[in-house]
Amino acid sequence: MIRITKNFHITILLLSFSCEEAKYELDNPYDPANMDLDPPAVFFHPPVVEATFSDPISVEIYGLELEPAAGAHLRFDYDPVTLEYDTMVPGPFFKGDNDPVAVADTSEGTVDVFIYYLPDMESNQNEGGTWSIATIYFIAENARGCSLEWDKSLTTLRDENNLEVTINDFGNGWVNIKND
Amino acid sequence: MKTGNQLAVLRFEGWDVSTPLTEYLTEELRKTIRDLDIFQVQDSGLTYEIDIYYPRKKDYWACWSKECAIDLGKKLKVNYVIAGNIQKKDKDEFLISGRLFSIDMETLVDEFAMNSSGLTDSLLFQMKKMAYNVSGLPVPDTLTVGSDTSSVMITSDFGRKRSWFKLPPIPTKVKALLMSTVVPGSGQLWVQRKYPGYGFMGTEATLGLLALISYYQYNENWGGFDENYDEYRNGTDPHLLSELRPKVIQYAAETNRYNQYMRNIRGIAASIWIVNMIHAYLVAPSDDYFDGEYFFDLEYNPDVNQFQLNFNF
Repeated sequence: MIRITKNFHITILLLSFSCEEAKYELDNPYDPANMDLDPPAVFFHPPVVEATFSDPISVEIYGLELEPAAGAHLRFDYDPVTLEYDTMVPGPFFKGDNDPVAVADTSEGTVDVFIYYLPDMESNQNEGGTWSIATIYFIAENARGCSLEWDKSLTTLRDENNLEVTINDFGNGWVNIKND
Repeated sequence: MKTGNQLAVLRFEGWDVSTPLTEYLTEELRKTIRDLDIFQVQDSGLTYEIDIYYPRKKDYWACWSKECAIDLGKKLKVNYVIAGNIQKKDKDEFLISGRLFSIDMETLVDEFAMNSSGLTDSLLFQMKKMAYNVSGLPVPDTLTVGSDTSSVMITSDFGRKRSWFKLPPIPTKVKALLMSTVVPGSGQLWVQRKYPGYGFMGTEATLGLLALISYYQYNENWGGFDENYDEYRNGTDPHLLSELRPKVIQYAAETNRYNQYMRNIRGIAASIWIVNMIHAYLVAPSDDYFDGEYFFDLEYNPDVNQFQLNFNF
């Protein structure tokens, strides 16, 4: 009888109190859904880099909901007075069983990144999706602002049949360098 | 012909007398006969294993006839059976009737009828007298309600010992209502309405179980929601955020769904709980000594052709 009474008291508690409603706001600025981009797209992440003069500066080239691809040529412009290109590290987008082959070529104010998926026993291309394609490292030259702007005509992705992969939108970046 | 002395005292039927009171008096008769040591009185638990009275109509006494009593006695495997009733004749006037049947000889051995004026004490006294009559013993002049034939503590004893603090008597209907308020169905069980009692108890327990399952599901989903939403709010990686977004939405939808289940169950259970309370009040027998003068009562009023809730203080 005690057990029954105890059970009913638990029941009363359960029946008396309502639980908290799950309330949420999906407003993280780094969430691609909040970036006002029309996928599939490529964009710089973070879109605005705040750095001091002595800080190393890195910015990721990100693909948003891209179709499967086997290679990419990514070209963007920057202000060489403000930034000096340092190096490029390929991201996980083209990484399969093997690491991708990646080359970066820089001339005055322009960076060309060439990345290729290295085929394995299972696939000749990646699976697409939202992933980092590469990370670009810069060195600050002057304390000022500088934009990172895509060359939309030359930036392209290709699939395993060398067909162009659709990119609907491009998200430019901004680097703001302040004195120490 | 050799016969044993096993005796079963059937539950006395109360006519305008509450069930708890008749049960109490029956048990007193049983105890007194047992103390007199002429018969071996069967325990009430065994006797009530074969219950002929419930469910039954209130004005119908099922086992007054020889055939019925003998049939029941055979089922109970006893040599004698006592059946009886307590009738309220007038205000404070009661008639106690009893019959002693021999099962082995299949005959009515003796019949007793006693008048009682007054309330519980007088009824108790008459029951004790009946115990002497049944046992074939003379009623001693010294017999009182609290005499040596029984060490039963009666209502007045309680009153004397606790004269410094006396709680007002609670009518059976209100007691049943309170019991069912605390544990659904318990009031019905107490007044021998077993099926509705177990029904209410089982329904509420089932709803409680469903609420418990919903709560565990809610809790599990809430854990997932909390973890993923926290990660989402603090995350900076677009890939991770794009994976967390649908999870947060899904977990939130699930928690809200189970929360809604719990609200629905709560509503249904509360309604049934209230119905159970009202039902307990309605099915509980009315007490003669209250006679509708206290608390409240639901009565059919033929003048206006509808049920009315009456409050009396």
